[in-house]
Amino acid sequence: MQVTAPAIRALRSPQARRLRLGLLFVSPWIIGYCVFYLYPFLATLYYSFTSFTGIGNPQFTGLANYRGLFHDSMFRTAVFNTFYYTVIEVPFSTVAALGLALLLNMNVRGQAIYRTLFYIPSIVPVVASSLIFVWIFQPSFGIVNSLLSDVHVNGPAWFFSITWSKPTFILLGLWGLGQPMVIYLAALQGVPKELYEVAELEGASPWQRLRRVTIPMISPVILFNLIMSLVLSIQYFTQAQVIENPPGSPGDSTMFYVTYYYQQAFQFLHLGYASAMAFLLFIGVIIVTVVLLRTSSRWVYYENDQR
Amino acid sequence: MIPGKIYAASRMRSDHPGRMARRRRARLTLGAVPATLATCFALVLAACSGHAASTSGGTSSSADGVVNITWQTMWSGATLTLLSQMVSEFNATHPGIHVTESNVPSATGDAKLLSEIAAGDAPDLFTEWNPVLGEYAANGSIQPLTPYLTGSYAGLEKWMYPIAAAGGQYNDTLYALPMSMNSWALYYNKSMLEAAGVSSPPTTLAQLYADQAKEWKFSGNKLDQIGFYPNYAQGFEYFGSFFGAVNCFDSTGKYDLENCPGAKAEANFFAQYAQYPYSSVAALQTALGNVVGGSADAFVAGKEGFYMSGPWEGALSIPAENPSMASNFGVVPFPGTVGGPSTFGQGNYNIVPKGAAHPQQAFQFMAWLAGYNNETFNSQIDPKGGWMPASPSVIQQPAYQSWLKANPWLSVFVQQMSSPLSVTPKLTKSESQFQAAEATATEDIAEHTKTPQQALAYIDQQANNGAGG
Repeated sequence: MQVTAPAIRALRSPQARRLRLGLLFVSPWIIGYCVFYLYPFLATLYYSFTSFTGIGNPQFTGLANYRGLFHDSMFRTAVFNTFYYTVIEVPFSTVAALGLALLLNMNVRGQAIYRTLFYIPSIVPVVASSLIFVWIFQPSFGIVNSLLSDVHVNGPAWFFSITWSKPTFILLGLWGLGQPMVIYLAALQGVPKELYEVAELEGASPWQRLRRVTIPMISPVILFNLIMSLVLSIQYFTQAQVIENPPGSPGDSTMFYVTYYYQQAFQFLHLGYASAMAFLLFIGVIIVTVVLLRTSSRWVYYENDQR
Repeated sequence: MIPGKIYAASRMRSDHPGRMARRRRARLTLGAVPATLATCFALVLAACSGHAASTSGGTSSSADGVVNITWQTMWSGATLTLLSQMVSEFNATHPGIHVTESNVPSATGDAKLLSEIAAGDAPDLFTEWNPVLGEYAANGSIQPLTPYLTGSYAGLEKWMYPIAAAGGQYNDTLYALPMSMNSWALYYNKSMLEAAGVSSPPTTLAQLYADQAKEWKFSGNKLDQIGFYPNYAQGFEYFGSFFGAVNCFDSTGKYDLENCPGAKAEANFFAQYAQYPYSSVAALQTALGNVVGGSADAFVAGKEGFYMSGPWEGALSIPAENPSMASNFGVVPFPGTVGGPSTFGQGNYNIVPKGAAHPQQAFQFMAWLAGYNNETFNSQIDPKGGWMPASPSVIQQPAYQSWLKANPWLSVFVQQMSSPLSVTPKLTKSESQFQAAEATATEDIAEHTKTPQQALAYIDQQANNGAGG
């Protein structure tokens, strides 16, 4: 094929050179993305249509894994448990983190110490904190039931009760509030003081200032934290895997989606089946995120919004 | 400086008379970037492939003819120290082979092994809990050992206890050699038994139930002491040989616990204990286990009257975690065992993964670890690990006999190993699912969410129709 003069000129043009240069500088990221994200994603999608144990060649089975999932009672249990956890934990932790940030944003003595104290738990390794909480919620000699018995309340078996296991994991989630709390705190400090001054002059009460000024102004950050929190909740795994023995107990009440996925992939070596689960999880996360983003236009306020 | 001035300054520089030369240098420099990157990338790949070539499967042969092999295990703590002693001894006595022990966390061990096999970089041998061997053999990730059972190794299978040999077989082919075997019996806490007013340990299931019932202690809602609780974290299968409930298959080879009299008897035995609070027992056991990394239990802590466990409980856990219990426990065969004393044979086995570079040398090391032609050293190591030897020949060694004399409780475990009633579960490719289903079903009985019969049906359904590929 003959390369024409204009084509050569286009290739040698400053724009093309800049493009090449740009691509060159972002190439480490592009390579990393392709190797560590794109390829695994495509491979997972392919394996989800196969029977594969990790060794040998995957056998193409069409939609068998997906059909299997819809007839698998444990899969339904795992979806329900994850849904239960997410629906309660996400609003609960969002309100708690925001509340904490509002308190820590108040101008009081020792403010820095309080901020540090509330942030510290989020840097404790998850496995270590999970083991500590086994003791804190231990029914016979744990501190929680001990305190409850002081006020003549018989504490439940917490992690070891079918009824209480999921609520206990939701309580455990409060331990890691430091991260969103710090983000809320940063957002709160970015709200212009003038807005509060004007609101005060107009006679707005503290509640009205919170509702009409603070929350709208930090709503993009609330959306960000909400999405992050949702994604993490849907992928809930480590704490349940560490605390419960066998994983998923008692009575399958803590068999979360990823716990079951892990069991299928690495205990039973059903990598094809687990890949189908992984892909459905991806679809689920995408749907939830898109829905949140689509509805966000009704409640998220951007300062440079033209509407 | 305002932005406009920066722009102007840059324009002025580009008009400098020496710009052409600089541009050429710049082109050279920029041209060198991709070349440098490509070279680096190639070097990294070369280094990786070079590494793979020289240590394929973690092995290599040095110039002096010594074969280096890698042994991958999933142990930690005191057991890891024992492994190091074994490796040192082997290396000292086998100048032609050098073993390097590589330890991976047990949580990721299986996944890592499979990745290594798939990548063609498998270790020469790997230690595994034998129930998974069926799956590995079925999917071709491990090698049969039959080609090596010749010459001085021709008698190896017969040298082992029948249950030890059976534990390494899939479809009648030997795939693995045992390093440590288990044997199960009933531990009892002497002082608790005495406090309950019972003069001797039980010999029937009814006696066991009655004796242990006197030992439970609650302070209000709090559980302070357990009598006996078989339902927690000890699979249905471990009690199987006592009830004749191991290897319940139908004529087509499918799991059929639902119609197995032994399995029904066992499920009913578990149900009998469901009147005690599962959640409190689980909480107590988990909390105690967490204290020392998961190896402690209520019996070791002196908070449980009876406990079904293996020799490691008395040989390793109690001396290490609660020495005050060392003279306060006894061991008897599990009461009321169908037909006479027996045990459920399982253990840690060594396998040669597919793609291992030096399977012959790996096999030689595996046989040595099992104690074959190595009875003297093996008889010194096994007691320290709380392991049952793979062969009666090891038991006959003076060191083991001294150990038995000093720890008479151990003889119960030893006798059970050679009992004709002892049994190893037939390895199937869905053994892991079977065990997971058993754990869930056992718990379901304890939590009253399934009747014994429903629990058995659930196990069959999960093991036979395990979802997914």
